[in-house]
Amino acid sequence: MRDEDVIVLEEPQLSAAERLYLPQILDGVKTTLRHTFSVKNRKQVVRQYPEDTRQGRGELRLANYRGVHRLNKDPDGRVACVACFMCSTACPAHCIHIEAGESPWPDREKYPVKFDIDELRCIYCGMCEEACPVDAIELTPNYELVGLTRAEMIFDKEKLLQVYEETKDVKPRKNPPVTDYGLTGGQSKDVAQPNVERKV
Amino acid sequence: MPKIIIDGQEIECRPGIPVLQAALEAGMDIPHYCYHPGLKIVASCRLCLMEMKMPHPKTKEMAWAPKLFPSCQTPAKDGMEVRFDSDAVRANVRHVMEYYLLNHPLDCPVCDKAGECYLQDYTEDHGSAASRMVDEKQKNPKKDIGPQTLLYSDRCVLCSRCVRFCDEISGTSELRVINRGSRGEIDVFPGRPLDNALQGNVVELCPVGALLDKEFLFRQRVWTLKTTKSISPVDSRGQSIYIDYNEEGIHRIRPRFNEKVNEWWISDEARFGWKHVHRDDRLNQPRVRGSDGLVPQRWEELPEFLRKRLADAAKQVSDSVAVVLSPMMSCEEAWLLAKAVRDVAPQAVLFHGFVPVVGEDRTFPKGFVVKAEKCPNRRGIETICEHLGGNTANWGDFLGMASSGKIKAAYVVGGYPNEWLTSEAVAAIGQVEFLVVQDLFPTALTEHAAVEIPSVSWTEREGMFMNCDGLLQEFERALNPLEGTKADGQFFFELAGNVGLFRAKKVREEMAAALPVFADVFIPQELPEHAH
Ligand code: SF4
Ligand code: SF4
Ligand code: SF4
Ligand code: FES
Repeated sequence: MRDEDVIVLEEPQLSAAERLYLPQILDGVKTTLRHTFSVKNRKQVVRQYPEDTRQGRGELRLANYRGVHRLNKDPDGRVACVACFMCSTACPAHCIHIEAGESPWPDREKYPVKFDIDELRCIYCGMCEEACPVDAIELTPNYELVGLTRAEMIFDKEKLLQVYEETKDVKPRKNPPVTDYGLTGGQSKDVAQPNVERKV
Repeated sequence: MPKIIIDGQEIECRPGIPVLQAALEAGMDIPHYCYHPGLKIVASCRLCLMEMKMPHPKTKEMAWAPKLFPSCQTPAKDGMEVRFDSDAVRANVRHVMEYYLLNHPLDCPVCDKAGECYLQDYTEDHGSAASRMVDEKQKNPKKDIGPQTLLYSDRCVLCSRCVRFCDEISGTSELRVINRGSRGEIDVFPGRPLDNALQGNVVELCPVGALLDKEFLFRQRVWTLKTTKSISPVDSRGQSIYIDYNEEGIHRIRPRFNEKVNEWWISDEARFGWKHVHRDDRLNQPRVRGSDGLVPQRWEELPEFLRKRLADAAKQVSDSVAVVLSPMMSCEEAWLLAKAVRDVAPQAVLFHGFVPVVGEDRTFPKGFVVKAEKCPNRRGIETICEHLGGNTANWGDFLGMASSGKIKAAYVVGGYPNEWLTSEAVAAIGQVEFLVVQDLFPTALTEHAAVEIPSVSWTEREGMFMNCDGLLQEFERALNPLEGTKADGQFFFELAGNVGLFRAKKVREEMAAALPVFADVFIPQELPEHAH
């Protein structure tokens, strides 16, 4: 136990008026009532999902919708991720868990042995996609994310690769990434040279 | 003390050091690769060049010389004036950085050094954003150069620090620079891998990600790790270390500068001496012998129970209670335990615990010593026993007295990372009627024990060790105690009849008041990150 481990918290002091909470409650009730009695609002807000989805004109834009993640594959069908941990570093919800290992392919150094995303914890901000140096992780237009257990909602590598298969026609993988040197996951083989390994 | 002027700022520096060292100590972040204060100077990286005032050959007036000088190779002389903050110096750094990046791979996303790499740092500060290289990069191979270390020679900047380390510090000269120019690379001799007792240091010494530890390879990115200052318990010198860990546990141990003990280096033993912390068979609950063997007991009930049983034993024969203080314990813990037992059994005998010794002391060319005594706190235990006085004796005496049946109740503390009991020792200790054993792992004593208490490793405790030269050094806690266990200090604190949190600092104050040597804790100088 170090001194900096001990945090002393003070409860904020509320005035008598603030402790009533009445104005805030009334404010909330007002919004509810407004929606309850407005026909126009009701028509706009209530949807008979799943028969009626929000994909009509002027509504959900699926092209840049941030739904379930996927892990892209390179042209050789291998996982494109190089296990750099950039996405898990960037993730504000700490929902990406990666275990890296030496890749079985000669033109790559590292690859993810395990890659788990907790889809329940994720806030779908898209930071991981932005951080990835090889465009391996992407959010897909797939927003129908359901499961019966929490464990089911932790997507592992296989599941994420499967999402890629399901969505690659709707949303193809982005342009080849800018980096080279074995990191492209086989996209520009002319640059990537196999690592020559030598034992002594 | 010589005074020199750097960038118009007068700086007082230690005599005889190079200008670069003076600047680094004054807090200036001067880029450098090849210079290391612990190694010979080669001035080969050309990053640290500076401008210097010299007498004009004709007019004899002091003026900026037209040529740049390596600041790492220029000794600081009283009254000299140099500058780093000039166009010529900045242009030099920019050009040198561009050369370094000509063939350097864009590997940072998969390079374990990323985050603590000086090529990254200097490129960010002084390099250019884009490469002008149009030809294909020269790609040197990745090599397996030893049992613990990998060499990615494409990432190497040929600073030759690793070569000099093996020549000067470990004295084993395994590494060499082979070939020249852009084909230059580090290599080992055929059939002679990099394998010596200090080899791990080349990994931190390497300013880039060329030399990497196989153990740590791909395990974590460095920015996900938390760091704690600690002291290695593997030998009696008390090498200063950093423990890098996260919620999964320890990931690596790195050297921490300590001018009095290990300087910049640590032994491989200290570097890899944390594996036992995560062994699966760690004891994780206190157990007390009932009619059908050892049964789990609640921590809260133990102190009262032990105090009563030890007091009973002392009532029968006053000096039949023994406390064995292990040299793996910190000073605070030994102090608390001895006090607690003496509290209920005033005549209790304090024994120094078993001191493991392996081989002989090994001294390396520049004076680095790997001690044969493999425990951190023998001196501390002896000092405490001496101070508390009364009956004290050593481990051999304890075994003798135990086997002759003189000891009725004993509190034996272990905490060693390896198996430590000989069969004779077990047979002797087995004679004790009421035996309390506190250890990390199950041992042969378990079947004789009346009470078995789990101990925790040094990474889960805090306190201080006194090394073989009498130097008192403190270490901090990195991990939380394993689930089900309690930090040893906390338990002894409660055993001594206290309530609340054990704070090593508080106990230290109490000890210092009683015994002034304990007031004198040595805290090594902390090196800033730019002075690597
Ligand atoms: S950022 Fe991209 S390459 Fe890096 S670990 Fe995440 S998915 Fe893999
Ligand atoms: S050595 Fe440094 S610059 Fe080179 S790849 Fe590794 S982290 Fe990046
Ligand atoms: S391997 Fe590292 S320490 Fe050795 S010469 Fe290359 S850059 Fe320097
Ligand atoms: S030339 Fe001075 S540090 Fe390398």
